[in-house]
Amino acid sequence: MANTILKVENLKKDFDNLSVIDGWNLEIERDERIAMIGPSGCGKTTFLKIIANLDKNFHGKVEKNFERIGFVFQEPRLIPWISVMENLTFVFPDKDKIIFFLRAMHLEGFEDYLPSQLSGGMKQRVNLVRALIADPQLLILDEPFSSLDMPVKFGIIEDINKLRDQRKFAIITVTHDVKEAILLSDRILILSKRPSKIIEDIKTNLQKTERDISNTKFIQAESALIKRIFSLSN
Amino acid sequence: MKILFGILIFLILWQIFSVILNVPLILPSPYLTFESLYHLALQRETYQAIFSTVWKSLLVLLIVIAIGTPVGFLMGINESVYQIFRPAITVVQAVPVISWLALVIFVWGIGWKGPVVISFLSLLPISIFTTATGVRSTDRNLIEMAKVYKVSQIRIIRTIYLGSLVPFIFSTVEVIIGDVWKVIIVSEYLCGSDGIGVLISWARQYVDVPRIYALTIIAVALGITSERFVKFFFRKALKKWQIQS
Repeated sequence: MANTILKVENLKKDFDNLSVIDGWNLEIERDERIAMIGPSGCGKTTFLKIIANLDKNFHGKVEKNFERIGFVFQEPRLIPWISVMENLTFVFPDKDKIIFFLRAMHLEGFEDYLPSQLSGGMKQRVNLVRALIADPQLLILDEPFSSLDMPVKFGIIEDINKLRDQRKFAIITVTHDVKEAILLSDRILILSKRPSKIIEDIKTNLQKTERDISNTKFIQAESALIKRIFSLSN
Repeated sequence: MKILFGILIFLILWQIFSVILNVPLILPSPYLTFESLYHLALQRETYQAIFSTVWKSLLVLLIVIAIGTPVGFLMGINESVYQIFRPAITVVQAVPVISWLALVIFVWGIGWKGPVVISFLSLLPISIFTTATGVRSTDRNLIEMAKVYKVSQIRIIRTIYLGSLVPFIFSTVEVIIGDVWKVIIVSEYLCGSDGIGVLISWARQYVDVPRIYALTIIAVALGITSERFVKFFFRKALKKWQIQS
């Protein structure tokens, strides 16, 4: 239990009469990375909101053993009229720490830029820096790369994994992309359509060096996962 | 260049119609009007009237923003406050200027207070509703983001709500600056002791139609100049408020 950062028991969530989450059970360890794959509307983002305390209206038990959370939203959610630095000090005042993470995310020199002056990838990196500066014990990634092109996407994923190896935080990623899921996880949860259940819990079993889209083991894992998703959805 | 050409065409059309109509009491020729304008330019009382209308307009603008913004902010942030205040403000908005006039003359008689109060009451609802709309349209995603990171309510109000409000305050000023001159001049005409409206009222009594037209040109020039100035200044200031995802 001491090593568990999040424990969910029989979680249910309805919107009026529409059942979205139907009895999820889940346990995540302190430095574990999990990814969730499932059809649209199956309650993935709702689940993340429940963890982040943005939605308190649910049934079941959610036990949180963390104080600090980082949330990388699907869209950057930067305040448009203030600079990158001001966007970051808005949530956390430690400028030295901000500069450290800006450097780690290749954003050094962009502190005074307005969000509208940044590219989509840069905005998502700022979104990520904002999630990292509070020193999170749990990092949530809610489809943050869906609007980015491949090189930018994989560059950011590599940076996240690097930082995670140094700082040992847990990660929950929600995605539709199988590659992303494998790169960012030790375990992949496959969800059914609404009202959703966790229908499969797969360990990825990849070493650090194998987390590379051109690596044979990665390609095998990807192909196995795609087959499994197809067989489950039929 | 095109604007000058447009003005020239306007003056030619004016001249043609004044010749065809040939009733200087309804439409004096541009020559008569500009002659009157020239005389006005030589008189000290014209500048005093312009000054009087300008300061009243600025005063109205200031108090409309100073009162309309906080009231609109409270209405925008809280649905109950919005529902409580909305009927009263809608009524104020619907009351015709002439009804305010009767009330104002009873209370203050003829003077500067009447035009200021009437203009204030006519323009306040615009400021309140524009501000309330601004607050209500604040990006909920930004508020949600701030809640995830446990940002204090004061910081959320200061940075997100007030920040979102800036374009709406600017657009309120833009709308009001266009209207304030007209409302002030009408109320000066009806219950003022000085100002362009009062000069128009005197010119009417002397049936000096070219003078009325000349004073109207001054009023239009003031309106257009202030609107242009505000737009130019705000366009620069608003650049960073352009929201791009």
